[in-house]
Amino acid sequence: MVTTPFVAVLRKDLLLEVRGGQSTVALGALSLLVLVVLVFAFNPGGGEQGAEAAAGALWVALVFSGMLGATRAISAENENGCIRALLMSPLDRAALYAAKLAAAFIFMAVAEAASIILMVLFFNLEFDARVMRLVPAVLLGALGFAALATLLAGISSRLRGGDLILPLLAVPMFVPALIAGVKASASALGGAPMGEFALWLKVLIAFDVMFVAAGYLLFEYVAGEE
Amino acid sequence: MNGRAVRLGLGLITLALMLAALYMVFVYVPTEADQGIVQRIFYFHVPCAWVAFASFALVAIAGIFYLWLGQQVWDDLGYAAAETGMVFCTLVLVTGSIWAKPIWGAWWTWDSRLTTTLILWLLYGGYLMLRAMAGDSEQGARFGAVVGIVAAIDVPIVIVSVRLWRTIHPAVLVTRQGGHGLEDPRMVATLLVSLAAFTALFIWILCLRFVTLRMHTRLGALARSLALAEAAAQD
Amino acid sequence: MDNLSYLFVAYAIIFAVIFGYVLFIWRRQAALEAELRAMETRMRALDAGGIAKAAEPRSGS
Repeated sequence: MVTTPFVAVLRKDLLLEVRGGQSTVALGALSLLVLVVLVFAFNPGGGEQGAEAAAGALWVALVFSGMLGATRAISAENENGCIRALLMSPLDRAALYAAKLAAAFIFMAVAEAASIILMVLFFNLEFDARVMRLVPAVLLGALGFAALATLLAGISSRLRGGDLILPLLAVPMFVPALIAGVKASASALGGAPMGEFALWLKVLIAFDVMFVAAGYLLFEYVAGEE
Repeated sequence: MNGRAVRLGLGLITLALMLAALYMVFVYVPTEADQGIVQRIFYFHVPCAWVAFASFALVAIAGIFYLWLGQQVWDDLGYAAAETGMVFCTLVLVTGSIWAKPIWGAWWTWDSRLTTTLILWLLYGGYLMLRAMAGDSEQGARFGAVVGIVAAIDVPIVIVSVRLWRTIHPAVLVTRQGGHGLEDPRMVATLLVSLAAFTALFIWILCLRFVTLRMHTRLGALARSLALAEAAAQD
Repeated sequence: MDNLSYLFVAYAIIFAVIFGYVLFIWRRQAALEAELRAMETRMRALDAGGIAKAAEPRSGS
């Protein structure tokens, strides 16, 4: 059976995780903690104010868990030198990026599903259609963040003390998607009419397109020689 | 030396334009009706923003050329543009803040332009920290180029999203009027001269910084050859 | 603090920062030129040493 390199690397990452990796659990736990902290911080009431706070908290959790996830995804291979083997193989760098991105996205999506459930519980919301409307916004946000973080984690993992530089670079770059995501989520949860929601969704789509493309093209300059 | 003459020439042009701009800002242009004399900060605040954004584009373009051609000169240009741009970006935020306080009563207003500039400042800062962390290496240059390019792609989306954020949700805090509703043609002229002055200032400072980086690069190469020659001479 | 003070502070900061940065560049330049002169000295030493070495009788056979 012939598998493309993309599928092969992706399957490897997913299998590693399913067979006892702790990444997804750790991401879920981190999201939980972030949400708890934010409930204490904002002490939200119900209604629209509650919806805004809930949307904000959800996306803070997304950013935090995304950064952890991206670092883990990339550095896991650096740990045992596997990265060298990967780079020496005739594997197309762009395909490697796509696989890393897909893995990070899947991990984040799972963590986000947990976060949404926790958010509804903690912020006294209902499991109704409004929460369902959240899902596309969160998925798009996760994809955008995964694209950004996978590329930047390639850089940070190759520098001594690079752990600090990842959030420093990723957070400002993510701001447009963060604004769009929070606003889309808040309008979805608040039950507002679709127009505004659709607008922010378009911003998220534009963000994703640009950053997936940029990562795809630029990853080879990051993951070049060792 | 030819380079010296160019830098001196640029410096003199800058000085002349700056003096002209200062005259226009403080003597020629009339005081604005609503805001009073504090409004004159605007004439230097806006050119700083123009320079900060233009320099950022330059970092990205230099990054593209560096990745494409692999020549160190492009990285030197990119780094010079990043450092110079950072200086002017900081000035935008500081002058914007000083302008905001007497007019709107708060040191910081989350209006769309200032917020976008803040993000730009953070992106510049991230780039410079990355370069500091990576040190004087080919890897640092390569990573810097990638980050510079990605950040520049980000900026237009930042501008759009922040503007939507501010218009769909008008701030509880005060939003600033569009600063370009200038009625009096003297104000327009003053702004244009200030823009020219700051463009000249930017080019001059960029050249100065670029030259030091080129020299540093060349000295590095020279030091290596020299060390080799000296080692060979020991035998 | 009245409006004139704000105006003054803003322009003062602009000039201080720009002047400071130019000064920073100028000092970098001076340090690099000093480094260059040091290297030129070393190069001259190498040249002189090379000529002297060539004139020396070789050790060993």
